[in-house]
Amino acid sequence: MAAPSLRRSLRWLALPVVLVPLGWLLFTGLGTDPRVIPSPLVGKPMPAFAGATLEGGEFSSADLVGRPAVVNFWASYCIPSCVDEHPVLLDLAARHGDELQVVGVLVNDTPDDARGFLDRYGQVGWPNVLNLDGDISIDYGVIGPPETFFVDADGIVIARHVGPLTTDEVARQLAALGLTP
Amino acid sequence: MIPTLGHITVVIGLAATIYAAAAFILGGRRGDPGVLASARRGMYAAFALVALACVAMVISLLTHDFSVVYVARNNATTTPPFYSVISLWAALEGSILFWTLLATGWASLVLYRYRARLPALMPWVGATLALGTAFFFAVMAWAGDPFVRVTPIGPEGNGPNALLQNHPFMGLHPPLLYLGYTGLAVPFAFGMAALITRRTDEEWLAVVRRWTLVPWIFLTAGIVAGAWWSYAVLGWGGYWAWDPVENAALLPWLTATAFIHSSMVAERRGTLRTWTHALVIATFVLTLVGTFLTRSGVVNSVHAFTTSGIGAWFASAILLTLGGALGLLIWRLPDLRDRRAPGAVVSRESAFLFNNVLFLGITFAVLFGTLYPILVEATSGARASVGAPWFNRVNAPIFVALLFLAGVGPALPWGGASWATVRERFAIPILSGVGVVVAAWALGVRDAAPLGILGLATFVLVVMGDEVVRGARSRARSRGEAAPLAVLRLATRNRRRYGGYLAHVGVCVMAVAIAVSATLGTDRTATLQEGESLAVGEYTLRYDQLVTEPLASDPRVIETRAELTLAGPQSGPIATALRDYPNSQTAIATPVVRTALGEDVYVTLLAYNTTSRAATIQVFINPLVMWIWTGGAIVALGALFAIWPDRRRRAVEAALAGG
Repeated sequence: MAAPSLRRSLRWLALPVVLVPLGWLLFTGLGTDPRVIPSPLVGKPMPAFAGATLEGGEFSSADLVGRPAVVNFWASYCIPSCVDEHPVLLDLAARHGDELQVVGVLVNDTPDDARGFLDRYGQVGWPNVLNLDGDISIDYGVIGPPETFFVDADGIVIARHVGPLTTDEVARQLAALGLTP
Repeated sequence: MIPTLGHITVVIGLAATIYAAAAFILGGRRGDPGVLASARRGMYAAFALVALACVAMVISLLTHDFSVVYVARNNATTTPPFYSVISLWAALEGSILFWTLLATGWASLVLYRYRARLPALMPWVGATLALGTAFFFAVMAWAGDPFVRVTPIGPEGNGPNALLQNHPFMGLHPPLLYLGYTGLAVPFAFGMAALITRRTDEEWLAVVRRWTLVPWIFLTAGIVAGAWWSYAVLGWGGYWAWDPVENAALLPWLTATAFIHSSMVAERRGTLRTWTHALVIATFVLTLVGTFLTRSGVVNSVHAFTTSGIGAWFASAILLTLGGALGLLIWRLPDLRDRRAPGAVVSRESAFLFNNVLFLGITFAVLFGTLYPILVEATSGARASVGAPWFNRVNAPIFVALLFLAGVGPALPWGGASWATVRERFAIPILSGVGVVVAAWALGVRDAAPLGILGLATFVLVVMGDEVVRGARSRARSRGEAAPLAVLRLATRNRRRYGGYLAHVGVCVMAVAIAVSATLGTDRTATLQEGESLAVGEYTLRYDQLVTEPLASDPRVIETRAELTLAGPQSGPIATALRDYPNSQTAIATPVVRTALGEDVYVTLLAYNTTSRAATIQVFINPLVMWIWTGGAIVALGALFAIWPDRRRRAVEAALAGG
């Protein structure tokens, strides 16, 4: 009688055999953020850029040397994502504006529309490069706004974030840049 | 005020379903009809409460109450009332609310219908359904609260997703699909009840057959409507892209279809019993997997809702359900031994068995292709995607084999068939199939796919036609009925069998239409100046002018349309447009489709230049596409015919209930 009861208890092995891998797969899938998209730029020097800004001045990435930078690609038509991340960026600049430089880069947007966006959702204290010919977006491999690149003090890109920035993501990247979030 | 009311009804609804589950278990153990009646009322109350919550959400949408985050994100002051109402199911939290409405609706309907029948099974059916709906209430009470408020209140909302407010089909496709998804909880509940009470005889199967076919009809219609929506809205000229979310709807459909077939064998022959239970479990778990895939953000898809924390809830629910159901099945395996030996290799049972193996084959292929990107990411961190060509290549041969079985199965007798029977039944159908292939070849069709499918479909249709003629002739002879009356009586006295045949006719129509439209269509893309023409096949398309103006129904939407004149077998003025929605980064295509029995002319505007007035236009000539939708409708009608209550059966049921 030992054989059938052994066989019967072996049947119960089906449960862990099915559930453990499935659970592992489902929860690992959840843990990964679909917005983290690999970029060949990570670990390499940031592509240099320069140009007129929304505020009427000029900006050059050469000015950034020695300070970490947050390069944020955005547009006025990018709703709700750019609206969602706007307060996160404002908060970042308010608390760490003296330790790092935030730079906005417009993606396929008109200066008037961009100004309208800032009037409505809050003026910013950092430069916004117009990028009218779209060359900067191409150099950075931007899929669509919003996208954000984190650059360390040596000008090396340390991370790329696709989609709206979150407070958690900013805290993680600030830590990676050696700053206290 | 109204949103607060909505939130409160959800919380009370959660309490009502938990109470119902507990009362069903208690009442079932004690056999106390009073407790069971109270448990049923708990479920009715849950349905009424979630209906109130839905009304509260619809009022919030219609009155543009932007203090509710869901409304602010999915509605704007200019949103037309129709799209405001259907925004109830257009985004994550609202869709769960709507889902719960349908799930509690199905549960209440079943509990009400069987309030005086199946006294042993029903408490456990009720407990399973109550626990399932309690899960959705719990999701709404915590992780996916649809009534979250925001301060300060903005003056304007974001408006509905541009793609989802571009076509009225959005009002039809999701409700049909959700009715199918949620209804499949009913067979699962009966399956669990049968295992718990060890009443795994044919009683539960007889009930469940009907309660699987009803949601199956909705699921079928929902999938076909979704394909139609994709065809009419997305502007790429196709209808099925093997998108993860399309797959998510197809997976439970495949296992439910397999179940509909295997349950016939289990009921008639007492075999395939464990298998049939496993299919019920798989179907329900796959509906949960579908919900998980669309709502957790693990896969990228046009359908994906916003990423949210409810993924963990659904993952846990999948594991708990699968673990519980599988455990119960293993525990009860000794009860599920087959009552007799399997039939001969050439018999109707084996046709059904092969059918099930093939359906499961497609299910695994689709599931694997859908989960593969997650698997790759989990193991290597890299991103991968599985494209339509892979799915087509893997699944096409299996579908062809299934089509073949659809003809073989009905003509084979139960138990086993002699060589003489096989020869007698299949000679004419095979010859007819070959004849049609030769005729199509002579008419100029050279592609293997449409030729093969045409031949197979003819074979299947002739087999079934032969069956009908045979049956009607014997009836006409024995009862002296006229031929048309004999056919009608034959069909209405054997609804299951002839409804099934009708569904197979629909499948043949769809198969031919899909094979032909996928291989024999043409398309052309050209950039034209105003006044220039483009010739495609037998058609000429003249580009008259470019017009840009705000949409009458919603002035925030700017439409740029190319006005064209079509000449050929179908003719007349047509216009195809790109629409700019204020909340969308990309312009939304509004293709124009001229449909006829033979072929569709499908014109889409790819790009335009407002200074030079040039327009880039793509024209598809898609043959037989309308037969895909028609075939889908025939399938659904066949199933409806099969479950239609007939007078004689009702009389028997009434007599049984009375006696």
